[in-house]
Amino acid sequence: MLKKTIGKTLLGICILGSSLLASGEVNVYSHRHYDTDKKLFKMFEEKTGIKVNVVKAKASALIKRIETEGKNSPADVLITVDAGRLYQAKTKNILQPISSAILNKNIPENLRDKDNQWFGLTQRARVALLSFDEAKKSDIKTYEDLADPKNKGKVVIRSSSNIYNQSLMAAVIEHHGEAYALKWAKGVVSNMARKPKGNDRAQVVTVANGIGSIAIANTYYIGKMVHNKKEAQREAIKKVKVFFPTFKDGGTHVNVSGAGVAKYAPNKVNAVKFIEFLASAQAQELFAKGNYEYPVLAGVKPSKLVASWGTFKADDISMNALGQNNKTAIKIFDQAGWK
Amino acid sequence: MNRFSKLTISSVFLALLICIPAIIILSYIFTPSSEIWVHLKATVLKDYIYNSLYIMFGVGVMTTAIGFTTAYITTMYKFSFSNIFHYALILPFAIPTYIVAFIYAGMFDMTGSVTTFLLKLFGKKINEIDFYDIMSIEGAIIVMSLVLYPYVYLITKTYLRAESASIIDASKTMGLSSWQIFYKVVLPISRPAIVAGAILAVMEAVSDFGVVDYYGVSTFVTGIFRTWFGMGSVEDASKLAAMLMSFIFLLIFLERFQRRNKKYKSSGKDYRPISKIQLKGTKNILAFIACFLPFFFGFLLPFIQMCFWFSISYEEIIDEDFFTLLSQTLSIAIGSSALITALALLFVYNARRVKTKMTDNIAQVAKLGYSIPGAVIAVGILTAFSFFDNTIIYFFETYFGFNPGLIVGGTVTAVVFGYSVRFIAIAINNYESGFSKIPTTYDDAAKTLQVGEKRAFTSVFAPLLKNATFAAFIMVFIEIIKELPLTMILRPFNFDTLAVRSYELTQQGQIVESSVPSMFIVFLGIMSVLLLAKNMSKD
Repeated sequence: MLKKTIGKTLLGICILGSSLLASGEVNVYSHRHYDTDKKLFKMFEEKTGIKVNVVKAKASALIKRIETEGKNSPADVLITVDAGRLYQAKTKNILQPISSAILNKNIPENLRDKDNQWFGLTQRARVALLSFDEAKKSDIKTYEDLADPKNKGKVVIRSSSNIYNQSLMAAVIEHHGEAYALKWAKGVVSNMARKPKGNDRAQVVTVANGIGSIAIANTYYIGKMVHNKKEAQREAIKKVKVFFPTFKDGGTHVNVSGAGVAKYAPNKVNAVKFIEFLASAQAQELFAKGNYEYPVLAGVKPSKLVASWGTFKADDISMNALGQNNKTAIKIFDQAGWK
Repeated sequence: MNRFSKLTISSVFLALLICIPAIIILSYIFTPSSEIWVHLKATVLKDYIYNSLYIMFGVGVMTTAIGFTTAYITTMYKFSFSNIFHYALILPFAIPTYIVAFIYAGMFDMTGSVTTFLLKLFGKKINEIDFYDIMSIEGAIIVMSLVLYPYVYLITKTYLRAESASIIDASKTMGLSSWQIFYKVVLPISRPAIVAGAILAVMEAVSDFGVVDYYGVSTFVTGIFRTWFGMGSVEDASKLAAMLMSFIFLLIFLERFQRRNKKYKSSGKDYRPISKIQLKGTKNILAFIACFLPFFFGFLLPFIQMCFWFSISYEEIIDEDFFTLLSQTLSIAIGSSALITALALLFVYNARRVKTKMTDNIAQVAKLGYSIPGAVIAVGILTAFSFFDNTIIYFFETYFGFNPGLIVGGTVTAVVFGYSVRFIAIAINNYESGFSKIPTTYDDAAKTLQVGEKRAFTSVFAPLLKNATFAAFIMVFIEIIKELPLTMILRPFNFDTLAVRSYELTQQGQIVESSVPSMFIVFLGIMSVLLLAKNMSKD
C-alpha cells in the first residue's frame, strides 16, 4: 500500500518534471535554422492537428544528445543539413528503418539511405561563382581544375572546418582516392587568393571586389544574397556568374538536407507522417521558393531565380560516401595545411 | 562551530556538483592516444596551442592596458565628459563579441566598406597597398579586447576607489611625482584587481568560437569542433578541451603562487573618497582621447551600425513569437543569475570564514567552467544527466514497475545548470574582490564580540557586500543573455532565446535582420550596465 502511494506520488512529480508526451505530437531535433521551416511546421500542424515540438542545434550536438538520452529520448525525427551527419547518425545506431511507400515513391533512390534509415528532402549544389573576366576564359570546368596551376591566385574558398567543404573533399576522395585528394588539396591551397576565412557569402563578396576570381559557395546562399537587405551583398551577386563545375568523371557536387526517424521514437507514426509531409509537393514547393533549395520530388520545379542559373547534372556518387569519407577528408585538409 | 561545518559541507557538495562536467571532460586526458589524436599531434595541434596562447597573451595585455588606464584616469581626474565616461566605458560589455566581429569584418576587411572607401579616396587598388587584414589572429585579439576590457576596468575601478585615497596622500607627502605614484604605488596595489579582471577576459577569449571561426583562426576551440563534428570523436575533442582547461588552471595557479605571501587586504582605517584633480589643456584632451577611443571602437561604432540595420528590419522580425522569445530569455536569465550569485556567495563566504586550503580551492576549482567552451560543457552535462536519469529510471522500473521518462535531461534545469557551471567564475571573482575590501579586522572584531555566525553575516558582511552582489548578478545576467552554444544544445523543446534567434538569422545570411534580436540583447545589456555604473558611483 505504502509502496503504491510512494510510487504514485513520485509518478506525479515526474509528470510535472519531465515532459511526458501526449500522442498528438511529434518531437523534432533539427539542424535547419531557416524561417521557411517554421512555416512548414505550422502547415503540418494545421493539416494534421499533430503538434510539432522543435529543438534546433548543430547536428552533431543533436546526435550526441539522442545518444546520451538513449532509450528514453523524446526525439522522434532528426533533421540535418547534410548527408554526412545522417550517415553519422546511422552508424551511431540512433535511427530506425522506415518502410513508407510515399517516401520511396517521392524520393529518388540515390538521395535516400539504402536501408531506408534516412531520406533526403532537399538538394543544394556546391558551385563556383566567377568574375565576368574569369567567366570568359575556360580555365575552370571541373573541381579538379581548382588545383590546376593555371588558376594560381584565383581561388577564394572558406575554411575546411565547414561541413560543405568537408563533403566536397569526401566526394573528391570517392572519385579519385586519398592520394589524389591530398595532391588536390595542396594544389587548391597554393591557388588560394587569400587564407580561408568567412562564410560562403563572404567568398562571393571577395571575388566581386576583385580579389581572386573563383569563389566556391552553395547555391541556396546565392539566392539569399540576391534577396538581401544588405546592399553590399546584392551588389556583389551582380558582379559574378554562377557556374556549375563537374567532376571529370561525374557531375556537379550536391548534398542533401534530410531526415530520419529516431530509433526509440515515442511517436513513430507521427514521425513518419511528418517526413512524408516534408516530401509532399506542397512542402517541396516551399523549400524551393522560400529557401532556394532544389526539391527532390520530381515535378516540383526550383524557384525562378534558381532556375535562371541553368541546369546541371548532379554527381551520382552515393550520399553515404560523403559521411564515410568525412573523417579522412579532415585529415587530408590538415595534412595539406588548408586551414 | 556546527554552523561552519554545515556551511562547508554544503559548499563542498555544491562545488563538486558544479565541477562534474569539468571533471568528466578532464578525465579524457587519461584516455589512451587514438589514431585521431596521433594525427592531430602530427599536424595541427601545434597551431592550436600556439594560437590559443597568443590570444591569451594578446587579450591579457590589451585588456589590462585599456582597462587599467581608463579606470585610473577616470578615478583620479576630472576632465571633459569624465562623468559620462564613467558609464560609457562599460558599454562595450553589452554587445556580444561575435556581433562586433561580424560588423568589424564588414567594415575593415579587404572588401569592407571603410577599406573600399579609403581605397577609392586615394585611388589605389587593394593589391597595391600594404594591407593588413582584420580577419586574422591579431584582428581577433583586437576585437575581443575592445569588448572584454570592461572586465578589467570595472573590477580595477571599484578597487581603486576603495583603496587608493589614503595611500596616494601618503605617497604625495613623501614627495613622489604623479608618474611615480602611478607605477610605484597604484599599479602594484591594483594588481589583484587587474589580474581578476584580466583572467576573466582571457578565459572568455580563449573559449570563444564565433570570432575565431569567422576570422579563420585555428584555436583549441575550432579544433574541438572540427574533431567532434567532423571526425565524430567526442573523446578526442574532450581531450583537446581538457588541455585547454589545464592551461587556464596553470594560469590561475601561477598567479596565486606568485602572490602567495602578500596580503592585499586593506586595514580599513582612514577610508575616504579620492579628491579628483581637474585636468586642463593638453592633459585634458589626452585624457579625453584615452577614454573616448575604447568607447568609440568598443561600442559606439558597432552600435551605430546596428541601429541602422535595426531601423530597416524591425517591422519584419518583431512578431508574436518574438515576445515569447523575449520573456523566455528574461525569465531564464534572471532566475539563473540569482541562483549563480547565491552559490558564489556561499563559496567565497565559506572560504573567507573557514580559512583552510580546501575551502579556498573549492572556489578556484568551481571557476574552471568559464574557460570551457559552452558546447563542451553541454557534452559533460548530457553525460552526467543521462547517468542521473537512467539511474532514476532503473530505480522506478525495478521497484514500481514503470518508466517515468527523462527527469532532468532536456529540461530547463539542464540549461540553468549549464549556466551555473559556465558563469559562476564571474560571480566568484566579483565576491573575491568585494571581500578583499573588507578588512580582516572586522572578522576579528566579530569574533571578539562573540557575535553569532548568523549575525556576523547579516549585520557585518551582507551590508558591505551589497555592491559586489549587485555587480555579480548583473555581470552574470549579461553573459547569460549573450550565451549561445550551451543553450542551443541543452534547451527543451520550443525554447528560444534572443541570442539563439540572432544566430539563426545570421546563419541564413540575414545579418541585417539579426540586428533586431541583438539590439534587444544590447538594450538589456545597456540597462544593466548603467545600473552597474550607478551602483559603483554610490560606492
